[in-house]
Amino acid sequence: MAFTLIPMLFSMALAFSNWDIKLHNQFKAKPIEFVGFENFVRLFSQPDFARFLGNTLFFMVGIPIGIALSLSSAVLLSQDLYSGGSRKTFGALIAGAMLITCCLMLTLVGLGSSAMTLLIGGLFCLMLLGGVVGGKTVYRTLFYLPSFTSGVAVFILWKRMYDSQNGPINTALTPLLDGLTGVVLAFPARLFSAAMWICLGLMMLVLLLGLIRMRLSWRDGEAGSLSVLLSAAVLLVPFFIAAQWSFTSDQSPLLLFGAVALCVWQLTVARRNGADFPSTAFNGLGSAMLTSTLLVSAQMMILGIAPVFGQLPRMASDGLVPPNWLSDYHWAKPALMIMSLWGAVGSQSMLLYIAALGNVPKELHEAADIEGATRFQRFWHVTWPQLAPTTFFIVVMGVIGGLQGGFEMARTMTGGGPAGATTTLSYFIFVEGFETGRLGYSSAVAWTLFAMVVVVTIFNLRVGSRYVND
Amino acid sequence: MSTIRPSYMKARFVSAGVLHITLAIVSLAMVLPFTWMVLTSLKSINEVGESNWLPAVPQWGNYKEVFQTSTVQADGAYLGRWYCNSLFVAAWTTFLQVLSSAMAAYSFARLRWPGRDKVFFLYLSTLMLPGLVMMIPSYQIMIELSWIDSFVGLVVPSAFGAFGVFLLRQFMLTIPASLDEAAEIDGAGKWRIFWDIILPLSRPGLITLTIFTFMGSYHSFFWPLVMLKSAHKYTLPIGLLYFDSSRGQETHLLMAAVTLSVAPLILLFVILQKYLVKGIQLGAVKG
Repeated sequence: MAFTLIPMLFSMALAFSNWDIKLHNQFKAKPIEFVGFENFVRLFSQPDFARFLGNTLFFMVGIPIGIALSLSSAVLLSQDLYSGGSRKTFGALIAGAMLITCCLMLTLVGLGSSAMTLLIGGLFCLMLLGGVVGGKTVYRTLFYLPSFTSGVAVFILWKRMYDSQNGPINTALTPLLDGLTGVVLAFPARLFSAAMWICLGLMMLVLLLGLIRMRLSWRDGEAGSLSVLLSAAVLLVPFFIAAQWSFTSDQSPLLLFGAVALCVWQLTVARRNGADFPSTAFNGLGSAMLTSTLLVSAQMMILGIAPVFGQLPRMASDGLVPPNWLSDYHWAKPALMIMSLWGAVGSQSMLLYIAALGNVPKELHEAADIEGATRFQRFWHVTWPQLAPTTFFIVVMGVIGGLQGGFEMARTMTGGGPAGATTTLSYFIFVEGFETGRLGYSSAVAWTLFAMVVVVTIFNLRVGSRYVND
Repeated sequence: MSTIRPSYMKARFVSAGVLHITLAIVSLAMVLPFTWMVLTSLKSINEVGESNWLPAVPQWGNYKEVFQTSTVQADGAYLGRWYCNSLFVAAWTTFLQVLSSAMAAYSFARLRWPGRDKVFFLYLSTLMLPGLVMMIPSYQIMIELSWIDSFVGLVVPSAFGAFGVFLLRQFMLTIPASLDEAAEIDGAGKWRIFWDIILPLSRPGLITLTIFTFMGSYHSFFWPLVMLKSAHKYTLPIGLLYFDSSRGQETHLLMAAVTLSVAPLILLFVILQKYLVKGIQLGAVKG
């Protein structure tokens, strides 16, 4: 008993000591002074907090993408590999022969220019050989490698890889981009602005899809009026971002007009089809929100690609150069995001999904097959709903982690860097608390962050428990 | 199986091939950075800037240099030292946390005392408190205790954790209570039951917790970064950061250091993979 009480009291003492700090805002080398809400007022009146919150949210856009990636890898790993008996030997023979060829050529050619290709080819064959012989376990291990080793060591590794002069990423990109420059210049500029418009059109299409989906679930009584309106509002967010963004602001009037037109159209269709909606206002908020968040991620990706097309011809005429990644204000965030997505492919979420996929009852799939469902239908209508509790867990943990995340990356790779582009809230708290020494302000930020985490988590839990139990 | 048409079999064979190739490509993407890391760590300093990944002659001496030599003038600032520090801290943290968690979990799962479930809930709610909020008061406490820049300050705060208690409690609840009762009839005390019955039976849970705690301690960054001031006391992550800022120009040596700090993890994972995957899945389902 005594042994259980001591750690408990210790952790409680720790927990309660927070209160002291919160109440007496303590400045370094000064007596403790009570300043009331001054810190919080400062926090909300200065732009820093909002900016760093924005950075944090930007990184959190990666969460749904990461979930999608880990789900796809889990699905891939759950497929039957049909590797047994003679097939296994056959596959192993092919992969092994390729591997030996690569190794032989590597030694014969020596360290010439084609050595790189051979090296990568050889590695590929090695993977294939391992996979054919060892089956899923080998692939799973390889997939899980990045997130298992993730930490300062891997961040430093990526920092070197992103190096603008000697890093392997830019060394590989330079010839590719040179080739691309030639291709771009060969085509008329009109083509590229057309491609940009197609992208924007695609964004519209995603919005339309979302709206139709909302309308249908409204009609079927799966979602209440308020949840539909909220999700539709979420779907419109990328359009407002596009209007603010300097690259796309030229096209913004048309975009906004189109978006509003689509909304009005869907609303009239909904009105005409019947006005009596059975559900209560907040019904089905979880699934509606989930759908709209997924679609918004898609919209944001398309929005990110669109101006690239628009700007390509102008950029190509100057010659395309690979970016400076971590030291470039606009590229630092995407660079870190790419790295996290690399880790997200085989993360813990993947392992959870693999377990959950194994628990989906076989009878359900068989029933769906008898009904004549396609593979996609079977996944979307049978498997995906069965995965809901897992997804819910991953989303909740991901959001909690995401709001507090980004510290290690910022500290090891960029130092919060270029001009605060990668400073997240947690790094901000660290800098304020342990480098600038403004303990009071720092803990004010920390408590605000904590309050946000609590609010978001409660929201998630309330909405999610309905969604999962549906 | 004999009724399956040959064309169908062929389609299945092709799709399995496509699947294998897809999986292998993704695996390749996962492995390439590590390949670059190892190959760069074997280069000599003149080759570092070259675009060819392969070193002309592998420089195994890089590893020796990183592991032994003092990286700067400061005493004891080299990887071997940091290795020992990390292992020392991780081992103590793990030992203490597993012990304290097991005892607390036993108390929450088996012993009856007033207000037990309320206290458990309170205990659990400390999980929600983000480390960031706790950081500053904890640091103040460390100053009061003058534990700054010492291993005690690293080990003690992380020796107790709600997660471990929760995991083990859930595990112990699945052990049938009739076993305890039988032992009690045979005259075993609470301690005896704990050591001889509960602990051996919750071995999978203990192994999982051990791995998690060890990994967490090995990776831990924020707290050691704040706490440790002198280079010879650094743990591996802090040491690597220091290495990066003090000798970052020598990429080949840096990569050797990174390889050395990642290698044990990979080894550990390959060996303990079964427990780990199970543990992650178990921990999440219960949580």
